Amino acid sequence: MIRKIAVILALTFSMGACTKDFEEININPTAPSKVPLEYLLGQAQLQISGSAGDPGYKVWRANFIYSAMIVQQMASTDDYYAGDKYTYNADNSGAYFADSYVNSVKSLADIISQAAADPANVNILSIARILKVEQMHIITDLYGDIPYTEAGKAFIENIYKPKYDMQQAIYADMLKELDEAGSALDASKYVPTTADFVYKGDVTKWKKFANSLMLRLAMRMQKADAASAQTWAKKAVDKGIMTSNDDTFAFIHSDGSTASRNPNSYNLGIGRGLVKGDNLQWSKTLIDMMKTRKDPRLGIIAQLANGDRVPADQKGLPNGLDKSSGPNGLVTATGDANIKNYSRPTDLMYDDADPNVLLTFAETQFLKTEAIERGWVTGTAQATFEAGQKAAVTQLVVYDATAVVSDPAAYVTANPYPVSGSLADKMTQIHNEIFILTASTFNHYEGWANWRRTGMPSLTPTNYPGNQTGGVIPRRLILPINEKAVNETNYNEAVSRIGGDTFLGRIWWDKQ
Amino acid sequence: MRKIVLIPVLFLLSLLVTSGFAQEMTVTGKVSEDGGSEIAGVNVVLKGSNRGTTTNDKGEFSIQAEKGNVLTFSYIGYNSKDVTVNASVLNVSLVVEATALNEVVVTALGIKKEKKALGYSVSEIKGEELQQARSTNIANSLVGKVAGLNITSTATGPGGSTRITLRGNGSIDGNNQPLIIIDGIPIDNSNLGAAGMWGGGDRGDGISSLNPSEIETMSVLKGATAAALYGSRASNGAILVTTKGGKIGKGLGVEINSNITMDNLLITKWKDFQYEYGLGRNGVKPTTQTEAMLSSSFGAKLDGTNVIQYDGVSRPYSAVKDNLTQFYNTGSTFNNSVALTGASEKMTYRLSLANMNNKGLIPDNTLDRQNYALNVNANLSKNFTILANVKYIKEKSHNRPKVSDSPGNANYTLINMPTSLSVKTMKQSMLDANGYEQVWGDNIYVDNAYFAATQFQQDDNKDRFMASFEPRYNLTDWLYVKARVGFDKYFYNYTAITPTGTPYTPLGGYDKNIQTFSEVNSELMLGLNKKLSSDFNLNALVAGNLMKQLKRQDYISGSSFNIPFFYDIGNINPSSRNASYQPYDMRIHSVYGSAELSYKNYAYLTITGRNDWFSTLSPKNNSLFYPSVAGSFVLSEAVKMPSFINFAKLRGSWAKAGGGADPYKLSLYYSLTGAHLGSPLAQISASTVPNALLKPLTSKTYEFGLETRILNNRIGVDFTYYNRHTYDDIVSASISGTSGFTGATLNLGQISNKGVELALNYDLIKGSKFTWDVSFNMGYNKSLVVYLADNLSNITVDNPRSQTAYVFQEVGQPFSLLKANSFVRDANGNVVFNDQGLPETGILKSYGTGISPYTMGITNSFRYKGVGLSVLIDGRFGGHIYSGTNALATRYGLTKETLVGREGGVVGKGVNSKGEPNTVSVPATQYYENLYNFGEPFVYSSNFIKLRQVIIDYSVPARVFGKSPFKGISVSLVGRNLAILMKKTPNIDPESTYGNGNAQGYEFAGVPTTRSIGVNLNLKF
Repeated sequence: MIRKIAVILALTFSMGACTKDFEEININPTAPSKVPLEYLLGQAQLQISGSAGDPGYKVWRANFIYSAMIVQQMASTDDYYAGDKYTYNADNSGAYFADSYVNSVKSLADIISQAAADPANVNILSIARILKVEQMHIITDLYGDIPYTEAGKAFIENIYKPKYDMQQAIYADMLKELDEAGSALDASKYVPTTADFVYKGDVTKWKKFANSLMLRLAMRMQKADAASAQTWAKKAVDKGIMTSNDDTFAFIHSDGSTASRNPNSYNLGIGRGLVKGDNLQWSKTLIDMMKTRKDPRLGIIAQLANGDRVPADQKGLPNGLDKSSGPNGLVTATGDANIKNYSRPTDLMYDDADPNVLLTFAETQFLKTEAIERGWVTGTAQATFEAGQKAAVTQLVVYDATAVVSDPAAYVTANPYPVSGSLADKMTQIHNEIFILTASTFNHYEGWANWRRTGMPSLTPTNYPGNQTGGVIPRRLILPINEKAVNETNYNEAVSRIGGDTFLGRIWWDKQ
Repeated sequence: MRKIVLIPVLFLLSLLVTSGFAQEMTVTGKVSEDGGSEIAGVNVVLKGSNRGTTTNDKGEFSIQAEKGNVLTFSYIGYNSKDVTVNASVLNVSLVVEATALNEVVVTALGIKKEKKALGYSVSEIKGEELQQARSTNIANSLVGKVAGLNITSTATGPGGSTRITLRGNGSIDGNNQPLIIIDGIPIDNSNLGAAGMWGGGDRGDGISSLNPSEIETMSVLKGATAAALYGSRASNGAILVTTKGGKIGKGLGVEINSNITMDNLLITKWKDFQYEYGLGRNGVKPTTQTEAMLSSSFGAKLDGTNVIQYDGVSRPYSAVKDNLTQFYNTGSTFNNSVALTGASEKMTYRLSLANMNNKGLIPDNTLDRQNYALNVNANLSKNFTILANVKYIKEKSHNRPKVSDSPGNANYTLINMPTSLSVKTMKQSMLDANGYEQVWGDNIYVDNAYFAATQFQQDDNKDRFMASFEPRYNLTDWLYVKARVGFDKYFYNYTAITPTGTPYTPLGGYDKNIQTFSEVNSELMLGLNKKLSSDFNLNALVAGNLMKQLKRQDYISGSSFNIPFFYDIGNINPSSRNASYQPYDMRIHSVYGSAELSYKNYAYLTITGRNDWFSTLSPKNNSLFYPSVAGSFVLSEAVKMPSFINFAKLRGSWAKAGGGADPYKLSLYYSLTGAHLGSPLAQISASTVPNALLKPLTSKTYEFGLETRILNNRIGVDFTYYNRHTYDDIVSASISGTSGFTGATLNLGQISNKGVELALNYDLIKGSKFTWDVSFNMGYNKSLVVYLADNLSNITVDNPRSQTAYVFQEVGQPFSLLKANSFVRDANGNVVFNDQGLPETGILKSYGTGISPYTMGITNSFRYKGVGLSVLIDGRFGGHIYSGTNALATRYGLTKETLVGREGGVVGKGVNSKGEPNTVSVPATQYYENLYNFGEPFVYSSNFIKLRQVIIDYSVPARVFGKSPFKGISVSLVGRNLAILMKKTPNIDPESTYGNGNAQGYEFAGVPTTRSIGVNLNLKF
């Protein structure tokens, strides 16, 4: 009997004791713990562009619902398009911020931390650093002070509640990063090619992009810190900015999975159907301007609902109106309540495989023109400006092979550079160009940022009843409410610096 | 291990072999109460066999027995009696039980114990009531019945999950629900799919699939001590379900149960909605079809004139008040079950089949379930018994309702529809000429209610097998060895179609989720039960268990059907097809033991210990030992008590418990997300920062209690105080998304739960024909988040779609703290308005816990002859809820509150930034639309009192049947959720949460609560 009991006891205890294979069991068989850096680099680019993850999520909210409407490149009579009427939708206002940090910023922080460990990865590292600036400057331009130095480092450094850096410091670091990373790019070392969705491994083009972005940032900060602006603008031009439309920075997309598709197109077309659903139209401000300027791009980017692309037939939608027949109704303001009679993007412009254009050669030429006029860099203002104009009107072929402007010179003639005009005249001309340029490439964030700095073109604010700003065009977006919950102290400190988290808070570079 | 599996198989086969009989005679006789009136229904069993019978209504019995055999006579409320057969006629008298001392309950590992021996609190619910008052999810039938048991149903329609908690929530972020054990086998109770902030539907949990007719008892082991033998997985207590088996001595029996239940809306009309203004914004009614495509009710005053609607047809601009009753059907549930029970000399068995068909409230929503169960108990020899349980459950549902966010959610549409638009119009004008959804509003994500209900398709199928085999061999009369092998296995298949022509994704989409789950537990136990001396008795066991849990989830999804309206994955654009699979592999190895020492049947001491080893934790910290000690002292037996005290017992216990974690939480992984332009893509898969040093959480609980019965046992009191403290809680803390991750797995949390439970019974009237019992139970749980992590004062758990209310865990605050985006207020509490006349946005303000700390229930049971009436009223107090439904209804101009300022604008009551009274007027449309960005106006107390359940039952007296084949007929009429007697939330039922997770305290466009009325018929042959 005793022996029987002993055997059973021994058996029982031996059941509990064998735990040797536990460590192995707890390894996830379907997920690698290490992947080639290029895989991560590829994903990071799609995350910046806005197609990976929830496709088009941040783009719809920040680029269309807010930026495009606020800056009057687009307009909508749907009350959901809060930027059109300066109303507040917490979710949409905070979306770009919320989406970017957990996707692109997270991936880039990981790539940079891993690539830095091995000098052989210098090009992956440098590209990631440049891409990070591309991402961060959009975020800071939209919101102001944001987490920067401590961002994306929950795993790397266990920082769970990143502090908000001052925009001034962010700009200083971004410029330094562009300088260092651009210089560090080395064609003699390993260069990613298929995983480079912008330049396919062309190191020279990456360098030019880094310098061109440096120029954009430098020009942006001139009201807040003119001396640094001058230094960096000169450095950018000296190091070498873009030289042709081939150098334009655009993420290449394709009509594969949703992550592959151009996020602007996803929203306008197949994914959300905003164009066919009559949800948004080109703004009257933009269409009128293009008509006046006899802009050949009008017939490429705008059409009526029935497909009519004749420039003369185009009609922009005024901002700040609703669908009602009340005092703020479209019919009251224009007499034409039929939304289908207003211009919207043409089918040419939003194929899934269209590139997501974020910094063009044309823009660099316009910014350089301004820098020349300010005496910061040398060159001929008129020639630089005209090169920009020609590049701007001819570059739409990237959207569609038929989007050809055969006579760019005619546009130059119709809109001559005011060589003998005042600086104000020149600024108006330069920034009107950037306004149309950013609109025609769906780069509305940049359109809004450039407008905030320059005030060009001059826009008439709307004053829709119950708007958040009292009829003043918003100067920034409101941060996600969620930050109040998860990063309270840092959030409060940051918003106190700009006198509260409102649409009218002035961010550092946006000096009155 | 293989041998252990073989044993039951072999012996099941040998069941067919039966042995012969010795010389026998027919023994007859009569059983009476102390020589007085006859007692019907007394069990008469031949001791040491399965042979038995019951007395008829004259108290007579007849049984085959040999001279010298012992017959045991037992009946509830009487002391059992053993009588040796010495003649062919035996007249037996039974004595009424002096006290309710000998009540036996099922405790951990299925061991039946006398309740008086327990040092902790256990509540038992009888299956009969669960059978009568059915709910499609059995857990809902437990509401209000057990002190300290908190059941939260979800507003997700039939088949939705429930949240069950015992004595509060012991983990800040982890699982807080008890372990569900069916016939000794732990089953998976995880939710197969839940709605989140972005919408979705609830696809049910494990307990929801049970057939109430199969249940003999449910034992609720509330505390850690009660469940200590189950180790880590029962750190939140356990619910033991014992299913019915064959009854000794009953011969072949047939039981048929039929039940029909109808469900109607409990709240049939939005009482607090306005019916004065119609569709439109800014006080204007539409004049064109485009303008009519709007979901706002900020239009003109309703005047009955013909006004164009979204489908181009003009209809009267008048209030539509019956949209709810027009859209929501009367739900119906048909339940039929048949059970076959039998017993032979050597075995008892029960075979049952049940079928349930449910039609939901929402058009096209159905739920069907078949339950098959076989329970066999065989005495293979004098010392060898085997118990086998096999269950198969087949469940199928079509179009489980979507809740929360708007896509495909008909409920959302109903709280969004303008006052002047009829849902009947939606039914008529659902599709356009292409068969696409005809867009009706200005937000393409809000679907036509009928399109959402009937064109979106969600189908799920679940095949579930549960089985246990339990051979037991008695080595001596005091020593036994027992093995138990049990498994729970299911195959689950879910397909969701976003149809062609859905406005926000015109080409449609396809999602499929296939899950397989299996858990196998193999247990070996050695037990002894020995009288050590005339006063001391020892009852002890040692055991080991291997638990292996494997889960595999396959996901297949894609968007864009090539051929419209043909919904198959093969028809999805190949470049947008995605497939992935998620494995889940977890082991827990355990050894445990228990020893119960009793002295003279009034002093009991139980000590248990269990060690668990977890595969999911850091190898350095993966072992945890859980000891427990419990004592019980029956005062009324030990010392002479005043005569009015019939029974008094003191009990106390202490236990340590703990929990593990999910697999793969220790390191960082990448997920391969496809390819772009020929280059593969990958990203960090987790949104939670992993923690390589993860160790188990531990909790320490002590409880003490008093049980007493006084005044001839007419009044019973059971009181418990408990204190539970959790350490090293594994917390997935919400961290700022700017860190790249939204959560971090930390291992530092501490939470405390203290509370009391009280159960009172009063036999108010105890006549021979009329009885009236009152039973009352209440629980109070005070939870406190003690510590989270260094420099971490709070974490966010979740939030509804509006993102204006959040559930937090915050140090120094109760569990599930509700916070909402508030107004800025000045020192005097006035709301501060900005220069545009809109309220300034303030902080996220705390409004208290989302979980009611007070729960109570009172049941009045009356019985007159064969007719019984039982009425259950229950209530919950002290909780709060954010109502997304009311927030949306306000935003769209549907609530009465939005009537203020329709003409001439809203001048918000409060002050401006200078502290002067606000005078800026804002048009009503914009004022109320902006109000949606605040949570504060939509936070309410979630207190309620409900008429939860009324049962009227009638049993045909046994004497009526005479020689007919019937042995019993009973009919009952049952109402559930009959009325809300008190609530503080306008429009909604405060019990409307859509999730069964740890974030409790908000609702958002759920399925409205229903009132159920049903009839139950039970026939026994």
